[in-house]
Amino acid sequence: MSARVLILSGYGLNCEEETLYAFEHVGLSGNIIHINDLIDTPQKLDETQILAIPGGFSYGDDTGSGNAFAQKIKLALWEPLLNFVQRDTLTIGICNGCQISANLGLVPAFNGHYGKRPVALTHNKSARYQCRWVDLAVDIDNRSPWLSGIERLHIPVAHGEGRFMMSNDTLAALKRNGQIAARYMKDESAANGEFPYNPNGSLDDIAAITDESGRILTMMPHPERGMFTWQRDDYDRLKDTARRTNQSLPEEADGLALFRNAARYFESAKKKECA
Amino acid sequence: MPRIEVLSHDDDGRARKIEQALERTGKTASVRVVDVYTIENETAANDVFINSLANPVTQTVGAHLPDDFDWALEIGFLPGVTDNVGHTASELLALSGARDEEPCYTSRLYLIKGKDTTREDIESLAGTLSNRLIQHSEIKSAADFQKSGGMDTVIPKVVLHNKGSDADTVDLDVSDAELEAIGKNGIADEDGSRRGPLGMSLLYMKAVQDYFRKEGRAPYDIEVETLAQTWSEHCKHTIFASPIDEIKEGIYKHYIKRATQEIRAHRQNDPKDEDFCVSVFSDNAGGIIFDENWLITDKVETHNSPSALDPFGGAITGIVGVNRDCLGFGKGAKPVMNRYGFCLADPRTKPKYYRDEKCTNAVLSPETIMNGVVAGVESGGNCSGIPTPQGFVYFDERFVGKPLVFVGTIGLIPREINGTPGHEKNVNPGDKIVMVGGRVGRDGIHGATFSSVALDEGSPATAVQIGDPITQKKLSDAIIRDIRKLGLYHAITDNGAGGLSSSVGEMAESSGGFHVELDKVPLKYPGMAPWEIWISESQERMTLAVPPENTDRLIALFAQRGVEATVIGTYTDTGRAHITWHGETIMDMAMDFLHDGVPETPLTSSFAPGGSDEPNLGQPKDHAATLINMMGRLNICSKEFIATQYDHNVQGSAVLGPLQGPGRVYADASITRPVLSSPKGVVLSQGLFPRYSDIDTGAMASAGLDMAVRAAVTAGADINHLALLDNFCWCSSDEPERLGQLKRAAEAIYELAVKYGTPFISGKDSMFNDFKGYDANGQPVKISAPPTLLVSSIGVIPHVEQSISLAPKAVGDLVYLLGETKDECGGSEYYDMHGALGHNVPQVDGHTNLRLYTLYSRAARRNLIASGLAVGLGGLGVALAKKAIAGQMGLDIDLSALDLPADKALYSESAGRILVTVAPQNKEAFEKNFKGFEHIHQIGHIAYSNKLSIHSILDTDIQVLDEAYKQTLRDY
Repeated sequence: MSARVLILSGYGLNCEEETLYAFEHVGLSGNIIHINDLIDTPQKLDETQILAIPGGFSYGDDTGSGNAFAQKIKLALWEPLLNFVQRDTLTIGICNGCQISANLGLVPAFNGHYGKRPVALTHNKSARYQCRWVDLAVDIDNRSPWLSGIERLHIPVAHGEGRFMMSNDTLAALKRNGQIAARYMKDESAANGEFPYNPNGSLDDIAAITDESGRILTMMPHPERGMFTWQRDDYDRLKDTARRTNQSLPEEADGLALFRNAARYFESAKKKECA
Repeated sequence: MPRIEVLSHDDDGRARKIEQALERTGKTASVRVVDVYTIENETAANDVFINSLANPVTQTVGAHLPDDFDWALEIGFLPGVTDNVGHTASELLALSGARDEEPCYTSRLYLIKGKDTTREDIESLAGTLSNRLIQHSEIKSAADFQKSGGMDTVIPKVVLHNKGSDADTVDLDVSDAELEAIGKNGIADEDGSRRGPLGMSLLYMKAVQDYFRKEGRAPYDIEVETLAQTWSEHCKHTIFASPIDEIKEGIYKHYIKRATQEIRAHRQNDPKDEDFCVSVFSDNAGGIIFDENWLITDKVETHNSPSALDPFGGAITGIVGVNRDCLGFGKGAKPVMNRYGFCLADPRTKPKYYRDEKCTNAVLSPETIMNGVVAGVESGGNCSGIPTPQGFVYFDERFVGKPLVFVGTIGLIPREINGTPGHEKNVNPGDKIVMVGGRVGRDGIHGATFSSVALDEGSPATAVQIGDPITQKKLSDAIIRDIRKLGLYHAITDNGAGGLSSSVGEMAESSGGFHVELDKVPLKYPGMAPWEIWISESQERMTLAVPPENTDRLIALFAQRGVEATVIGTYTDTGRAHITWHGETIMDMAMDFLHDGVPETPLTSSFAPGGSDEPNLGQPKDHAATLINMMGRLNICSKEFIATQYDHNVQGSAVLGPLQGPGRVYADASITRPVLSSPKGVVLSQGLFPRYSDIDTGAMASAGLDMAVRAAVTAGADINHLALLDNFCWCSSDEPERLGQLKRAAEAIYELAVKYGTPFISGKDSMFNDFKGYDANGQPVKISAPPTLLVSSIGVIPHVEQSISLAPKAVGDLVYLLGETKDECGGSEYYDMHGALGHNVPQVDGHTNLRLYTLYSRAARRNLIASGLAVGLGGLGVALAKKAIAGQMGLDIDLSALDLPADKALYSESAGRILVTVAPQNKEAFEKNFKGFEHIHQIGHIAYSNKLSIHSILDTDIQVLDEAYKQTLRDY
C-alpha cells in the first residue's frame, strides 16, 4: 500500500481539491478532511504519511494570514500534530498553508523545537495581492525530500501576505542549517528584492523554507497550479513551438515533481524496510 | 483592557501605500499602522487571546505606542456594519476559552509623522481611507493624544431604539396623495418620520388598497413591505415584462426569451446541432451542457447603486451575491469562475457633484469608486477561492454618479445528483423552510426597492452591506462537498434582494403557499421589527426546502462545518402567504395576489436616432504620435493592475489567462479547464460599447453581442456551442425616448442572436442608472449613464489544445486581417479623442460574420492559426499595436488593400474583424480554408525588428507603444 495523504480543508482554505488531484496523479491516495473532523478524530493522523495544508484564505486572513487557523490547530490539535511531524512523515504547507505552518511554528523549528514563531509572513511590499508566475531556484544546501533533484521551478504565486520577515539571527540560522528551500529568481540570477521577480519583497528572496529535517516544506508559490503544461503561462507558446517542430508537448510541468518526490520518499522507505 | 493595540513593524507595505497617497498631495510623512481590537466585555480578553492577535516577529501587542508622531487617525466601523476581522477575533476569543459570541470590533489606527502635515491633510486622508456611510474616523494631534492617554475607546454596538418588536397596521383608507407619499417615502411611524422608500407608484398602492378592502382589514406593515419588495422593478422586472407599444408580451418575452426558443427549436429539429441548453431563464443562473457528466452554469449580476455609495461594500456584496446565484442553481452548483466589468468615470478627474442642494454630501471621487470596486471584487473573489480569469473596465464621464458594476459567476454541477437531475428543484407541501448561513441584521433594508429608483439625497445608508466571503465559503463548502450528494433537500435558493421575502416567496410558488414563524429567525442583535427581519438583505444566507424527516441531520451536518441552520417554517399548499410572530398572525395574503397582483402598466415608446455629422478631421500630421496617444487612452490601455490582483489560477484550472504573451496584453477572452480530469475548456468573453448608444442603441447592442461572440470564437470557441447572457443597464426608463432606445436594442440582439444561433440563457436588467443631484453651485443636475448592454458569452470546447492566444509566436509569420473594414468611426475611441461623435457607427453584418466565424473555427481545429485577436475599441491600429506588445515582436504592415484613408483604416471600429497570424508553412492551407470568403487580407508579417511599421503611415518602436499602453493605470 502506498502512502496515505490527508489534505486539510475548512474555514476558507480553498486549494484542497487541486492539491489532492496532484497527489492522486502521482499514484498516491488520500482524502480531504475538514479541520473540525480531524479535531474530532485526531487518530486519523496515525494512519497518514503525508499531510498537506493547502492554499486559501483561512478566516479571510483576518488577524494576519494563517494566524487564526494556526490558533485553532494549536488549541485543539497540537499534540496529535506534533506526534505526526515527529514521525517519519512528510508535510507540505502551500501559500495559506505556508502562513499557517509558520504561525504554528512547524518551521523553522530550530533544534526540533516545534511551536515557536521566529518567522513571519506579512503584507506584500506592494500592499497588493499578487497573482503571477515566478521562477524559483532551489537552494543547493537544502536536503528536503520534497525538492530532491529539483533545481528550478516555474510556478505561480497568488497571495497578499507572502513576504518572509525574520531577524538576522534567524536568517543566519536558516542559511546555516540549509533550511532555505527556494528563492525567487530574475532570469538566471537572484531577484535581489526586485519587483515583480520577487513578488512580495521577501527577505533574501525567500519563497520557501523547511524544518531542519526537510520533511516539512512550506512555500508561498503553488506547485499544484503548475503541474501540467497546459496550466503554464507560456502554454500557448510551448504548444505553438511543439506544433511547428512536430513534437509532442510533455504533459507534466515543474510543479508535479514535488508530489512525485513525496511518493518516491515512501516507496524508497518501503524498499528499505523490505531489505 | 477592552482595547488591544497591535503595532506593526516599521516597513509595513500598508503604511507605504498611505505615505504614497500623502505624497501625491505633496506631503512627506512616515506612517505606522496599528490594528485595534475592542472587546465589549473586557474581562473576556485573556492573555492567550491577546497574544494570538499579534505576530511576534512583525508586531507588538499591548506595548507603549511610539510617541514620535504628529497625528493619530483612527478609522472604525459604524454600528451594525459587517466587521469580518471582528468576527474572526470573536472566534479566536471563543477558541481561547471565552464564552461564545463575545463581540469584538476592529479599527485601524495610523500614526502619522510629517512636519508639514496639517489637520486638513489628515482629514482629507481620512476621506480617502474611509467612507462615512459605514465608518467613523477620529483624528488627534500628538498633544491631544498624549493628554487623553491615547485614542478614545469606541464600541460600535448596535442599540435599536425603535419600539421594535411588533408588527404595526398601516391605514390605507387615506387620500391618494397620502397613498402616493407612502409609496414614495415609506410607511409613517408614530412620530411622522417615514421608514424609507417602498418604490411603489400610486397605481400599485391602489391595488394594495383594493386588496385589503376586499380582505376587510388594514394590512400589517410587513405585508405592505413584502408587496413592495416582490413587485419591485428589481425583482419583477416590470419594465421588461410590461406591454410596450404593439408588443403585448413585453420586451423580455418578445425579444430575449423568443430568441432562445427559436434557436432551441431549430437545433432540436436539426440532427447536426445539439440543443445544449438545459436550464434557461427559470433558475438563479442559466445552465448548458459541459459534458456527459456536468452542466456549466452562468449568471451575471449588477450591483450599481450600492457601489455608488460604498464601492468596496457594493462590489464585494455583488460578487459574493452572484456566487450565491450559482450555489442556488438547481441543487447547488460549485462556483468555478468569476468575471467582472466596471463602467467608471476617469479616476484622474475630480468632478464635484453633491447629493444635496447645500453641497455638503459629495459623491465619491472616481478614484475612490474605482479603488473600492476593484478591491471589493478582489476580496470577494480571492477569499472565496474562485478564479477570476476575465473582465473589463470601461470609462465614460457619465458613470460619475452611478458606476456600473457587473459581476458574474460560472458554476459546475453534476447532471445527476442522488438519482435526480442536478438542475431540477421542487418544493413539496410539508417541506420545512430552513435558513442557512449568516444571521439577520438591518443590513440592506430596502435594497431591492432602492436599486429601482434613481440615487438622490434620501438614499438610505442601511442599503449598504458588506459581504463576508468566509462565512459564505463555509456555507458553500458544506453544501457542495458534504451535503448536496446526500439528497437531504428538495430545493435551494439564495437570499439576495428582498431577503427571506423573496426567497421564501419564490420557492413557495411551487408548493402553493408558506407558513413562517418569523420569531425563529436568528438575529445579529435584538430589537428588530418583524418587517425588517423579513425583508433584510443580510448576506451569506441560503433558503432550503427540506423534508421534515431530514431536518435534524441537515442541521447537524451544517453545524459540524461551523454553519448555522434553522427551521423557520413550512411550505404549504394553502394558497396563502402566512407569517406569525410569537404566535400572532402578522401576514395572511393570497399567494396569487403576492405574485400576480402587480398591476400591468402598459408602456409607450418613441425612437429617434442620435449622432451628429461626420467630422472633418483631416489626416493626423504624426500618425505615430496619434497611435501612441490612442494606446494610452483609458478604454484601450492595460488593466494589468486589476488582473494581477485577482487570483486567476486558483483551482488550477487557468489555461488562457487575463494577460497574454510575454508582453502581457490584457485580453478580452479567457479559457479555463474547470474539471481537471477532463480536457474540455470553457471560453468566456464579454462585449460592451456604451458610447455607440449616443448614435444608435441598436448598433450599441449588436456590437456588444458580436464582440462577445467574436472574441470567444477568436480564442477557440465554436459558435455552435456558445451561449449568451444579457445585462441591460439603462437610464430614465420611465421616459418614452429611453424605452424606444431599449426596444431597439432588444430587437437588434434578438435578430443577431438568432442569426448566430447563440441562445440567451440568463440575464438581468437595471433600469434607472441616473444620478440626480447638484453641481458645485447647488444647481440641480441629472447625469444618466449611457444606455448600456453587456453581452457575456460562455462556450465549451472539446479540448483546451484548441485555445488560441492573442500573442504572435514567431518572426516570419504572416499577418491576416479577416473581415471588412468600413468607414465606421462613429462613436469610436478615435473620434472621441478629437471630441467628436460622428454618424457612421459600426453596423454588424450577421450573415457575413457567421460565415467568417464558422470558417475561422474550422481553421482553428486544423491548427492553422498561430494567434488571433478580435479587433475592438481603437480599431485595427490598436489591434496591431497590441499584437506587437503581446509578442514583443515587430510587425511589417501594409494597409493599402483596405482602400480607406489612413485614419479610417487604422481606427474604424467595424465589427466582425479578427487579426490573425499564421505560420508560413500553413499559408496555403489557411487561404484554402477561407476560399470564397472575400474579406481576407494578408496585410504583412511578423518582422525581425522592434518596430511596428505600417507602410507609408507610421513607424514606431514597440517599447514606446508598450510604455504608452501600460503607464496610464500602472500606479493604481
